[in-house]
Amino acid sequence: MKMIRAIVRPEKENDVVLALEAKGFPAMTKMNVFGRGKQKGITVGPIHYDELPKVMLMIAVEDNEAPAVIDVIRQSAYVGYEGDGKVFVSPVTESYTIRTGMRSE
Amino acid sequence: MLVEITAVIRRDKVAPTMRALDNLGLGSMTIATVSGRGRQGGNIMTDIDREVPAEYESVSKITKHLTPASFALSHSLTRPVFWVPKRMLTIVVPSPMKDDVVDLIVSTNKTGWMGDGKIFVSPIEESLRIRTGERGTSSI
Repeated sequence: MKMIRAIVRPEKENDVVLALEAKGFPAMTKMNVFGRGKQKGITVGPIHYDELPKVMLMIAVEDNEAPAVIDVIRQSAYVGYEGDGKVFVSPVTESYTIRTGMRSE
Repeated sequence: MLVEITAVIRRDKVAPTMRALDNLGLGSMTIATVSGRGRQGGNIMTDIDREVPAEYESVSKITKHLTPASFALSHSLTRPVFWVPKRMLTIVVPSPMKDDVVDLIVSTNKTGWMGDGKIFVSPIEESLRIRTGERGTSSI
């Protein structure tokens, strides 16, 4: 399995979730985070913001579904400006459903 | 070898889980406040509602005052995206202890109702204690 962590604009959260749901990926965990990118935040006039609010979506998927999920996130979270976010993919060796105790790899 | 065990569990199961892990000698963990939804996609909140045992007062309180429909209206959404409040525990353990910890979390958190949560196990390549600079198993 793969764990996909997508850090997206908070205002795009609903779009991304609905798009993922439409493709058959309704299950995910959401977390409010703060971060900055290569640009070290943004400067608006005299004020510099170096912690920008973002939403992190964590989605666990099968290995072969990962490219599809990444594609959906890319399309639905895209604005075209710096700050659109990042997608990180990391390995998950196994996962368990607590209700049934069922194990899957 | 170290593994990271990430468990997304019910809010009221954090204390029992911490107590159970303490008995196993694992006191250290990271707790985060997250929102989640499972395979049901928050769509059948009414079903979850009906199936949630009465002692989950927190859940019934939310659904009593904030239905998916009222949430959607107040946020001008076309359709509701409903999230269930959860806690995420992250525990890093040596890989031989993995099965014990997973079994313990499953047995402590199992209620048999939808929304009990998930556990993910993933490898940790390197670990370092910042204070002393120890690496590997001795760092946890």
